[in-house]
Amino acid sequence: MSSSAFRDEIVKTNAFLFKSWIIAKRDIFGLFEVLFWPLISFLSVGFLSDFASLSSDMKGFILIGVISMNTIQVCQLDVAYVLLYDIWSKALKHSFVAPIGIRHILIGSMVVGIIRGGIVFLILAFLSQLIFHFNILVPDISATSLFLSGLFLNAAIVGILVSILVLTIGYKAEVAAWSVVSLMFLICGIYYPISILPHWAQIIAKTLPLTYFLEYYRIFYGFTPSCSDVLVKGCFLLFLYLILEIYIMHLSLKRAKQSGMLLKLSE
Amino acid sequence: MKLAVQIRDLSKTFIQGIIRKKRKKALKNISMDVPEGSICGVLGPNGAGKTTLLSIIAGILIPDKGNILVFGEDLYSTKGIKKVQNFINISSGHANFLWNMTVKENFHYYGMLYGIDNKERNKRIEELIDLFSLNSYKDVRFSELSTGTKQRLSLAKAFINDPKIVLLDEPTVGLDPDVAMDIRRIIKEFHKKKDITFILTTHNMEEAEELCDEVSFIFDGQIRVKGRPKELKKKFNIGDRIIIELKEGHTFSKDFFISGLLNISISNSYASIVVDDHSIRLPEIINRFIKEGIQIKRMEIRKADLEDVFISFSR
Repeated sequence: MSSSAFRDEIVKTNAFLFKSWIIAKRDIFGLFEVLFWPLISFLSVGFLSDFASLSSDMKGFILIGVISMNTIQVCQLDVAYVLLYDIWSKALKHSFVAPIGIRHILIGSMVVGIIRGGIVFLILAFLSQLIFHFNILVPDISATSLFLSGLFLNAAIVGILVSILVLTIGYKAEVAAWSVVSLMFLICGIYYPISILPHWAQIIAKTLPLTYFLEYYRIFYGFTPSCSDVLVKGCFLLFLYLILEIYIMHLSLKRAKQSGMLLKLSE
Repeated sequence: MKLAVQIRDLSKTFIQGIIRKKRKKALKNISMDVPEGSICGVLGPNGAGKTTLLSIIAGILIPDKGNILVFGEDLYSTKGIKKVQNFINISSGHANFLWNMTVKENFHYYGMLYGIDNKERNKRIEELIDLFSLNSYKDVRFSELSTGTKQRLSLAKAFINDPKIVLLDEPTVGLDPDVAMDIRRIIKEFHKKKDITFILTTHNMEEAEELCDEVSFIFDGQIRVKGRPKELKKKFNIGDRIIIELKEGHTFSKDFFISGLLNISISNSYASIVVDDHSIRLPEIINRFIKEGIQIKRMEIRKADLEDVFISFSR
């Protein structure tokens, strides 16, 4: 790639970063997404653990889950909303008239998602130590970075899925921005190990990379994973889904251009 | 004559409904050529297929069949569309942009989508803000702009990538007459200054006549007639209408005739006369009446417009 082509790629990617950033900083509800809801859910679960007199191990297990959940939730919203912002403004066609690719949309929105998700992770990590005396940064920096990268990429998977649904079924997919991720949290072992789930749910849990990333990080706190090589399995599933979803998103965009959905979403 | 856009046998059917049973043929085998540097109008009633055609040229709607070459590039080849999207842009009536962003931020966002670097982008944005008189609104959020200003922004945004082709989808729809006039003035100015090809859809005949070098009438997904506005009026025998009512006691003679007469209907003291050009024929009529001592009570002139062409061919 020539240097001018590379510059072109960066500027186009920056467009989505710029858009997400401006909208995020202007949106009062955005503040709620980053601070209010994560804090509410984190503090509720933390105090509940104290009330139930859980052992420090158990409390740690749950706090790792709740911090991960909020980090993913905030990060995925930026990817999920990147097309929804255009749709709500009825301006979607103007973005797609320009020579942009799906990579620009996803990377640009993901950068803002990582920044916001990272802020949530750091705030909750700090509060976790301060209020509940639980240190989520016990593992070394490389393990924590790997875990966080896993969380962000899991968020990308959910966000891309929402974008695919938006391009396929339109406005009705709005609700997926919140519900898809909640379903994932239900079976990935946020508050409990997946071994307590019904058998069929365990099978589904094992097809989701977040399950393995949570188990990987909990190893550092003395918990035994449900299988061996959790990190390898988690990474494999993560990249498999990412590749599949990006391919499906290309197809969805093409289909939206064929069916007229792209125009309908701009009216 | 170099062609900016060449369309051949373009068809598009929309399939709707849960079981995909409803089918609406939006375009049926459309072919048209748009010369480089021209303003080409696509006219027709609502639902005729104008926006569908424009959306296909813009690359945001894929046709079922047909070919489109834009400056020689095949629009629906993978490489072609990437190239074409760099030098094409669109502006729509009922302008909509990111409502939470200011005018300037919207310019920056859309400029970035075309890969325009910061320095060049700033330069172009300043130019466009000046040209479209958006200076006092540059830091105002889109949601707070008036309809006319939104429309000016929509038009200005269409020039952010220094395009060779601009698609204007009903650029003055829903605007007050003075704002619409202003928008038309801007389009004409831009066309004069830069060698841009415009394709304009409208159902406003006056607008098409004022702006377009050539017009195509689209009806029920098909181009029914096309040509230069003047030629079309001639072809359909449509001229200026002079309506004259004479004072009491005066009547028109049944064999009233003047050169350039296209049609006439007479009822005693009232006549509706259609002539090729009222500016030439009206003085002739008045001179004749003066000579013959005929006194006029009321006179009205209706200039021929493309609406008459539209009515004529849709009959």
